[in-house]
Amino acid sequence: MDAVERENLDRQKHWAKEQKVGEGAYAVVYRGREFTTGRRVAIKKIKVGQFKDGLDMSAIREVKYLRELKHQNVIELLDVFSNKTNLNLVLEFLDSDLEMIIKDRSLVFLPADIKSWMAMTFRGLEFCHRNFILHRDLKPNNLLIASNGQLKIADFGLARDFADPGFKMTCQVITRWYRPPELLFGSRYYGSAVDIWSVGCIFAELMLRTPYLAGETDMDQLKTIFRALGTPTEQEWPGHTKLPDYVPVGQFPKTPLRDLFTAASADTLNLLSKCLLYEPRKRISAREALLHPYFFAIPHPTHPSKLPKCTTQMAPRPLGEVDGNVDMAGSGPGVKAAAPNKGRLKRMMTSPMDDSRTRSIARKLDFTKHVKSP
Amino acid sequence: MSTRSNYGWLQGKTVKKGGHSASNSHTRSHTPQIQSTSSTIFGGGIKDPSGRTSEYFSMDDQCPVCKSDRYLNPKLRLLVSSCYHKMCESCIDRLFTLGPAPCPICSKILRKLAFSPQTFEDLGVEKEVAVRRRIAKEFNKRLEDFDDLRSYNDYLEEVEDIAFNLINNIDLPATEARIAAYKAANAALTSLNLQREEAEALALKGQEDSERREREARAAQLAQQEQQEREERQREERELIDKLETSQKDAHKIVAKSRIAAAKRSSARAASASATSGLLGMSFGQDYAKLLKTRTTKVNNVPDEPHVPFQDDWYAYDDLYSIRAEGYDDFISEAVRKDREGIMRAGGYKVEEAWDRALLSAVAGLDVVPLSGLDIPPLRDGDVVMESV
Repeated sequence: MDAVERENLDRQKHWAKEQKVGEGAYAVVYRGREFTTGRRVAIKKIKVGQFKDGLDMSAIREVKYLRELKHQNVIELLDVFSNKTNLNLVLEFLDSDLEMIIKDRSLVFLPADIKSWMAMTFRGLEFCHRNFILHRDLKPNNLLIASNGQLKIADFGLARDFADPGFKMTCQVITRWYRPPELLFGSRYYGSAVDIWSVGCIFAELMLRTPYLAGETDMDQLKTIFRALGTPTEQEWPGHTKLPDYVPVGQFPKTPLRDLFTAASADTLNLLSKCLLYEPRKRISAREALLHPYFFAIPHPTHPSKLPKCTTQMAPRPLGEVDGNVDMAGSGPGVKAAAPNKGRLKRMMTSPMDDSRTRSIARKLDFTKHVKSP
Repeated sequence: MSTRSNYGWLQGKTVKKGGHSASNSHTRSHTPQIQSTSSTIFGGGIKDPSGRTSEYFSMDDQCPVCKSDRYLNPKLRLLVSSCYHKMCESCIDRLFTLGPAPCPICSKILRKLAFSPQTFEDLGVEKEVAVRRRIAKEFNKRLEDFDDLRSYNDYLEEVEDIAFNLINNIDLPATEARIAAYKAANAALTSLNLQREEAEALALKGQEDSERREREARAAQLAQQEQQEREERQREERELIDKLETSQKDAHKIVAKSRIAAAKRSSARAASASATSGLLGMSFGQDYAKLLKTRTTKVNNVPDEPHVPFQDDWYAYDDLYSIRAEGYDDFISEAVRKDREGIMRAGGYKVEEAWDRALLSAVAGLDVVPLSGLDIPPLRDGDVVMESV
């Protein structure tokens, strides 16, 4: 037995694997425990065998970047060890995610709650960007919530570091509903602004309780964005017509955000509009966002321990979706395989009175009224 | 007639009219934006409790000025002037864009912004609602403000008189004078009552909030109870099966015994449940606000702190370097810098970030104290030593 194997065995001995809690495209997630402290962890076993070219790309990315990042709003990778032919990642155990909370209709969000979540998201993202790492898959489902209420950015399966000047990156990243227009237009050179757009969409979703820009195909996604925010002009976004996949989608008029977010304060809408600017270079950075007056205004952000939590324990699937594989061909990027099961469970637990509330979850925003026909 | 509750609708709280189901097909909701052919947004109109205006809308609409109708122009939108004459948006744009102009029907001088959407089919009703709303804002005395019921009724009579005059255009100057006189005499009381109304609305909202929280708490409790029961039942079944498997006793006896035990437990549970629900019900009657802050009191009472932008200590490097404002002329980023209007710029690539990263990597280690205890070979001639910054 050589030194490497011995070291690996040493590490493995720290962690006890318990029951299986979820399965993703390239990994199985188990609940686990640290032997010495009894601390709960999630152990993500990566299936190696089925990949001919060695380890899956997202596993490599996840280990590579999470090893570097330690911040209260980023999920912590505690350990990595191998077992036979499998690679195991030991991660913090987090029991819910923001998507579950948004979809739980029995919870009521106060403006201060949204402010608190946004501050934590921006803090985590600022930390990633400060370390020159793009997350590239931000969505409510990837913002996990710890038991003390802290929000943690997870799933670095699509992350990469900032590109060197002149190096191409792929534009097939970020779940469609949260994908910024420059990626939809096929830009191969982009920067931290792509993550900010996603955060803007999440911000809007927190207020609306339904996905803000839910397009059905990539084309439809562009149309949805323009319908909601107006078609960009050359002045607003110089050079966008020269992007590789640029196609004219049609002219849609600008409508003030106020029309849809009727209850939001002026600060809120200001920050939201800065996150959803078309010109990526003008989009607010995470650092600037944290200094935005919205966060300093009254009400103060809710203390994390007081934020709304999922009351009913749903089908446990912490990290179950942390596989990072965006289904490019799938019909709806936000729709999970686990969703129908979750719905049924919830219906069983709640009284018939609540039933009508759960049903309205799948409401889709309709921007058609904004369309001015020629 | 003398009760306050009759006056709610005057303040725009609820606007209901008879035969609501029939009139539904003639109104459309004003959210988020109505199809409008004009660039001006016309405010006003009668708002319902949620703050929306519903607009009257019929297939036989015709603009009295230009005679265009809905058949020829499906987007026809009629608006009402302050003299209660209808006309379509394009007529309004045509006539009033260049400033105030006379009404084509009654020649009263009108302004473009004074047009508002129509809510009721009958313009008389439209006018009456507007007048009564205006009156209710000024004449908001309450029964408590009078010595006896008699004087309150006299006051209501007078208000009704004024409203009637305004609606039917009787003695307009004299009526306006009466309103002005009343306004001057009762300014303090009016504003006080306004404040009272606001406070009442706020209190009502708070009560609704707390009631909703109560309902949530109950639902959660119920769900938990059910879950507990289910678990217990499963456990009992398992135990029974185990017993039947291992015990030597008569099977019937064991089953009967476990049944008795189960009945006992369920009755105990029912008693405790009724006790807790009774407790909840009682507090519901007494003081909901206190018990029902489900999330604040139940969890903890940590105060919300002001926002702290960054909760870690990173910026120690900021004084070690700064990026030159005019940028750097390096060959690696040349392609990006030349592409001022092109695809790299439009995609949002920032060469500044690359420079920042390079500089940071260069200086980040400077502060670190070298590890001690290592054997470092002495410097020889020709070794390059980095100058301190």
